[in-house]
Amino acid sequence: MHGVSLSIGGTDALNRDYLKQLKALADKIEPKWISDHLCWTGVGGLNLHDLMPLPYTEEAVKHVVSRVKQVQDFLGRKILLENVSSYVTYKQSQLTEWEFLAHIAEQADCLILLDINNIYVSSFNHGFEPQEYLNGIPIERVQQFHLAGHQNCGNYIVDTHDHPIIDPVWALYEKALKRFGSVSTLIERDDNIPPLKELLAELDHARTIAEPILAKAKAA
Amino acid sequence: MKGLLNLQKEFQNYVFKRGERMEREVVGTRRASARTRLGIYSSAYRLRLLEALDTDYPTLRALAGDDEFEKLGYGYIESHPSPYYNMRWYGGELAEFLKITPPYNKHPVLSEMAAFEWIMALAFDAPNDPVVTVEDMSKIPADVWPALVFTPHASLQRLNLEWNVPVFWKALDKKEQPEPPLKNEFPVGWVLWRRELNIYFRSMSVEEAWAIDAMRSGNTFAEICSGLCEWIDELQVAQHAAGMLKSWIAEGIIKEVVVPR
Ligand SMILES: [Fe+2]
Repeated sequence: MHGVSLSIGGTDALNRDYLKQLKALADKIEPKWISDHLCWTGVGGLNLHDLMPLPYTEEAVKHVVSRVKQVQDFLGRKILLENVSSYVTYKQSQLTEWEFLAHIAEQADCLILLDINNIYVSSFNHGFEPQEYLNGIPIERVQQFHLAGHQNCGNYIVDTHDHPIIDPVWALYEKALKRFGSVSTLIERDDNIPPLKELLAELDHARTIAEPILAKAKAA
Repeated sequence: MKGLLNLQKEFQNYVFKRGERMEREVVGTRRASARTRLGIYSSAYRLRLLEALDTDYPTLRALAGDDEFEKLGYGYIESHPSPYYNMRWYGGELAEFLKITPPYNKHPVLSEMAAFEWIMALAFDAPNDPVVTVEDMSKIPADVWPALVFTPHASLQRLNLEWNVPVFWKALDKKEQPEPPLKNEFPVGWVLWRRELNIYFRSMSVEEAWAIDAMRSGNTFAEICSGLCEWIDELQVAQHAAGMLKSWIAEGIIKEVVVPR
């Protein structure tokens, strides 16, 4: 189960009504994972319907950790947090994004959904080395990968899920597989949906990249 | 958490109305200034909510025209920050907004179209209730009929319209060139529901509209009959009400008949 409304980094109290519905649905369909994004979605009872970025501070780490713990207690299971695409860097940030994510995952004892495209988008927007990001994420916590297309506006990239996956993201996926091993992979496509054949071709491409790496890892 | 709270408030304000304070919180680069970066969030916000309205109100868009629809949509977005964690509900006050906000309040057909499309979406999303069959009804002994109470199907929606907006909707649905909606001589009651995956709607006589509302608010068959006497002769009223009930059942409007003990 994958959500966008948990607002784990929000400063309003956790939404009990939402959590109850989430738990009821989880009880019903027994999903392998429950995931949402490392972000906030609004403040003061309002919702921006977006995945808003958090400042990478110790204060925010502490805040998110305590909320993840509350959510995990309530649901009776670990959740996965996903890295988002972002377009701003806060001046107050003291940590890198991967340190921020890794600290939260370790301290809250939660799992990670690593969106490879989001790493690429954010690395372009903020000028960091994506491999460094991968290196900073604890291997055993990563349960799922996301892949997606995006829109390159020249000076920045927007995460739109409406284009095919680009080559640099495939290349990063390959690097991620080498580091994290056999991780379930999901391709996200929300808009401008092509014929099924093209989507299946993308899926095949992901498998073609993964097979030799995973075979090699298994042999070793 | 105070710092985080203030930052989020500031950012949210920026999304709503921009302003320089937030620009000072964010790193600008040669490639993209702080304003450009923050602007991605504020424009995406408006586009996303407009897309939500678009999904809910395609026929209103056709009726108003693209430019006017976007104008009224952005007017709604500016005055309606979303309190919903599920975007599904965001557009729910559009009909009311159009009804009371100038200049749209001078064109009530817009508000009525919005109301019509909204209840259509509600009907579509409603739970899959079972329906009563004519056979179920035939098993009910005649002497308990007066005390029967009915539960409407979850998808059942009611609306009174001064304009003939469903005709416009139908024409578009059939990909025909729609005529501009006409004003009725008096408000007309409509009922709308879903059966399997199809939406159905039809207009009703004044007495049927009254009866269906009475049924929805939990009146007994006897109460419905006595109310109907305003329009129908007392001697025929029970038969008339039973006939209406039969057609509601055939249409799949009734979920359940509660037989008194
Ligand atoms: Fe994702």
